[in-house]
Formats: sequence, C-alpha cells, structure tokens
Amino acid sequence: MKPMRKVVLLMLVLLAALTALGVAGWQLYRAAQPLELTLYFHPFVGPEPLVLNECRYANPGGEGRFKVRDFQFFLSNIRLVSATGAYVESDSYHLVRFDGEEPAFAIVLHDVPCRSYERIEFGIGVDAVANRSVTSRGDLDPNSRMAWTWEVGYKFVLFEGMLLCGNASDPLVYHVGFDENYRIISRELQREQLASSPARLDFRVDILRLFQGATTVDMRALPSVKFDRADAALLGRNFADMITLMRPERD
Amino acid sequence: MPEDNPLTKEAVELGRQLFYEPRLSANGKVSCSTCHIQRLAFTDGRTTSIGVSGKPLTFNSMSLANLMWGPQRFFWNGRAATLEAQVLVPLQHADEMAQDDLGRLVAQLAADTSYRKLFEAAYGKITSANIARALAAFERTLISSNSRYDQFLRGELTLDPQEELGRKLFMAHPDVKVSLRGANCIDCHSQFLTSGSSARYDGFSNNGLDDEAHLQPGLQAVTGNPAHRGLFKVPSLRNIALSAPYMHDGRFNTLEEVLDHYDSGIKNSSTLSPLIVEADNRGAAAARRISLHLTAAEKAAIIAFLHTLTDRDFVTEERFSDPFARK
Repeated sequence: MKPMRKVVLLMLVLLAALTALGVAGWQLYRAAQPLELTLYFHPFVGPEPLVLNECRYANPGGEGRFKVRDFQFFLSNIRLVSATGAYVESDSYHLVRFDGEEPAFAIVLHDVPCRSYERIEFGIGVDAVANRSVTSRGDLDPNSRMAWTWEVGYKFVLFEGMLLCGNASDPLVYHVGFDENYRIISRELQREQLASSPARLDFRVDILRLFQGATTVDMRALPSVKFDRADAALLGRNFADMITLMRPERD
Repeated sequence: MPEDNPLTKEAVELGRQLFYEPRLSANGKVSCSTCHIQRLAFTDGRTTSIGVSGKPLTFNSMSLANLMWGPQRFFWNGRAATLEAQVLVPLQHADEMAQDDLGRLVAQLAADTSYRKLFEAAYGKITSANIARALAAFERTLISSNSRYDQFLRGELTLDPQEELGRKLFMAHPDVKVSLRGANCIDCHSQFLTSGSSARYDGFSNNGLDDEAHLQPGLQAVTGNPAHRGLFKVPSLRNIALSAPYMHDGRFNTLEEVLDHYDSGIKNSSTLSPLIVEADNRGAAAARRISLHLTAAEKAAIIAFLHTLTDRDFVTEERFSDPFARK
C-alpha cells in the first residue's frame, strides 16, 4: 500500500469512528436533556366522559338524575419523585376546569430533569399557607370565582349543577374548601410511562367519586355543601380518590 | 396591556383629547364623553344612551373604571375582544357617532396642526388604528382606587357598623346550616374588584332579569354556546351609587330596586345560575320560590356598603377631565 492510500484509509476510519461517537453522544445528550411533560386530565362521570348541561347521570345515593354545569378544582404542588431527587414545580397552583371546549385539561411541566421517576405527587385543593394569602401565584386569584373571601380562603373543588326528580328540580351547589380537606395524592409511575415522545401522562378525573366513595351521597338529601365543616369533610374524603392514572393499554 | 399599545404619556394625552372631541362624530356634536360623563363615573344617567340619531340605543352606558381588571371582553355581551376593538364600534355605529368613513375622520384630524403634533408624539402617524389605541390608552388610566372601601382594604379606616354588616352580607353566599346570612353578591362581583372574574367567560352571568321566553341572546351571540344565552357582563360596582340607572338595559332606577330584584324578583330560566336559585337565607326547603329572604335592614346595610364604593377622587380627577373645558 502506498503511504498516501494509508493516510486516506486511516482518515476514513477515524471519520467513521468520530461519527459513531457523535451519534452516540448526541443520543446521550438528548436523553439527558430536560423534558417537557404534559399532564392531561380527562373528565368522566363514572364510566362515561363528561357531557356538560345534560341531565344524564343517576343520583348516586337516591332518586333522580343530575346535570353538571360547572366543575373545577385546584391542583397544587406537583412533584415528581425519583431515587436520585425530585422535580418540584414552582408556583404550582393550577385551576383544572372542564368547559366542554377541549376533551382534556392540560398542564405542561417545563424543564423536567430526565430521571427515572417512581411517582407523581400533587395536592387537590390549596395548601394552608397559600390558602391564607391573597398573593396571586399560578392560577390562584383572590378575585376569581374559586375565592370565597380572603377571610375564608379558596374553594378547592367546585361543582354546580341541577338535580331533576319527577317535575321538581333542585340546584346543586358543592363548594368544598377548608385546610383540613387539602389532599396530597400520590400515583406510582411505571418506567415506560415517561418514555413516550412527547412525554405525557393521562389522568382520569371521575366526578362521580365526589359523591360515591367512603360515603355515598344522596343529592336530594344533601343538595349543597358550603361552609358546614362535617359536610365538607365528607366530600373531602371522597374526592381524594377521584384522580387516577390512565394506563394506555387498559383505557 | 397589548404589546402594540404600550401606555405612554403621549398616547394617554392624545386619547384624552380624542375622548372629549365632538368632531369625532358625524354631526360634530357627540363625543365619547357624551355618554361617559366623569361626574357620573363615566356613565350618562339615562336608561339607554342617545347618540347622533337621537334614537335611544338598546343598552345602558357602562361605567369606565378599572378596565385593565375583570373580564377582558367588552360591551355588555362581550363582543369586543380588546378595548382597541371596542372603541371603534360606537364611533361607527349609525345611532352613536355615525362616523361611517374613518378615512375622512383621519383626514379631518390631519388637517389640524394640534392633532398632527399629538399623533406624531404618540404614534407617528394618524390612522384609525392609532385613534383606537389612543382612546384605549386613555381609558386604561381611568383607575378608581380611593373609595372608602379601598381605604378600608388598605387598613386606613374602619367601616361603620351598618356598612360593615353590608360588606359581610355582600361577601357571603348564605348557608343556613351554619347560620351564615348572605346576599350572594360575591358569587359574581369579585371581592376586591367588585367586577366579574377575568378567567374565560366567568365574568358573564344570567342574573335573573328575564324568564325563559324573554331571555336575550347575550353572550351566546358571541360564543354560539346555548349555555351562554342571557348571560351579560358583570360590571364593576365601583361608583355604583353614581351610575344609575342599572342593568344592561337600565331597567332599575335605584339601588333599592336592584336589591329588591336580587332579593325577590329573580325570574327563572334554563341558564340561571344554580348559585342564585339555591341562595336563600331561610333554607331552600322553605319555599320553591327563588328568594334571598333578606330583611329590610339587611338590604339597607348592603346599600350603605355600596356607597362606600364611591370614589370622589375618581370623579374629580383633573387628568380624566375634559381638556377643552374652560378653567
């Protein structure tokens, strides 16, 4: 082999090696880049996707059928927990609302470090510190319909609708707040759940669980919950279970 | 605040002149200030306004205060998505200012040295878009923040016992179960702003003025959503004691009439809020008829509280006044 040919061959080998290294490096680099993770919340009433303003759902604890006019709740303090550390969203106060315009409510988490997360945690409601403040953080707004007054704090979960029973119709007003009903929810994650691109997690929000759980509510007997602490606690225990992670293969 | 219309001193000064400029109208006699009079908190005291045609309009003149907060859609039915879009509508409406050719108006202003200078300083060119920007900029400066209620919120004074009772009733949804009496106002009129909420269409409500058969389209005309039929913009209550008559069609002449409506005059319809139907200081089971069941003393207390929303500084502030008026 002539010396010139040797040099060319050597250069080609080097180039191939560098390219391979570059691709592998790029893949490693990409894998280490922070993620944008979107959480989707899909509203259901029992097995059915939520349809607003239609009297189609059975009163879980008694006679009649009900319709949902408004349903919204605060979801706070989102954390992703892994063995090597946690991602904590700052000013993490989201008003999750279902206005019938989109099939799901989306929360986008930015700059999520790429780790193997074991679980996601968040609160339903507003933590005691933020609940005593008039500072606007995230979606917290003391002039919004979720605010009672600055002396009382925020409604955590708001359900407004109507119960029809025979010819009679009763307004349904469930406004649940108070510090003791702030619920921290933890849902386990499977390794592959964050591997999709773009990264997403899908949650089922079952509005019926507000009335069906530790206690089953007859809407006729209890058409409104506002400031009575015992009534609020009853729905507070129920709503702890209303959000579950959807597994793509099953849902 | 729109990015293409920053609040500058020059824009506000130009906007103030245009706001009080009768030459903006086709007959040279009607300005924005014809229907938005400062001493009436920028309303006109009429049931519904009257412009160049002399024909009464369909709607009551809205107060112009604190427009940067609360619902960011304008007009009673929310048909304007920005203040800049809003101001051009009465300017061109045949019954209001009837300026059917904005090009002619631009030429007219361009012939005036003083306006040429003002536009040059504020935006560079005289265009209809810049007329709208200037008017919107001036309107954004109309901030009312020194009423007795504001002073109370800042901890500068205490309200008298009647006003304080009224405030508590205003801020409470009644709950018989815990003996909480309330007038339910806060469910639509937010606690600090006293306007509707700003998120989505939360600041629009059906407040029981009409029964099903007489329900007007309201917000539905804008969104097409049947659930929005009969919903109108919840106005700020700042200076409400100065801005009679009340409601989108000016049907109530006094605050007493307004309180009587909310207490016992609500008409039911399919889009009426369950919060209004359910609110009853005697307990919902007592009667099927929708009523708050407030006492006469409670209604008087709420009206006393509403008077604490009057801001004398706002209605006398020189920066908001007619720049053409003789000193």
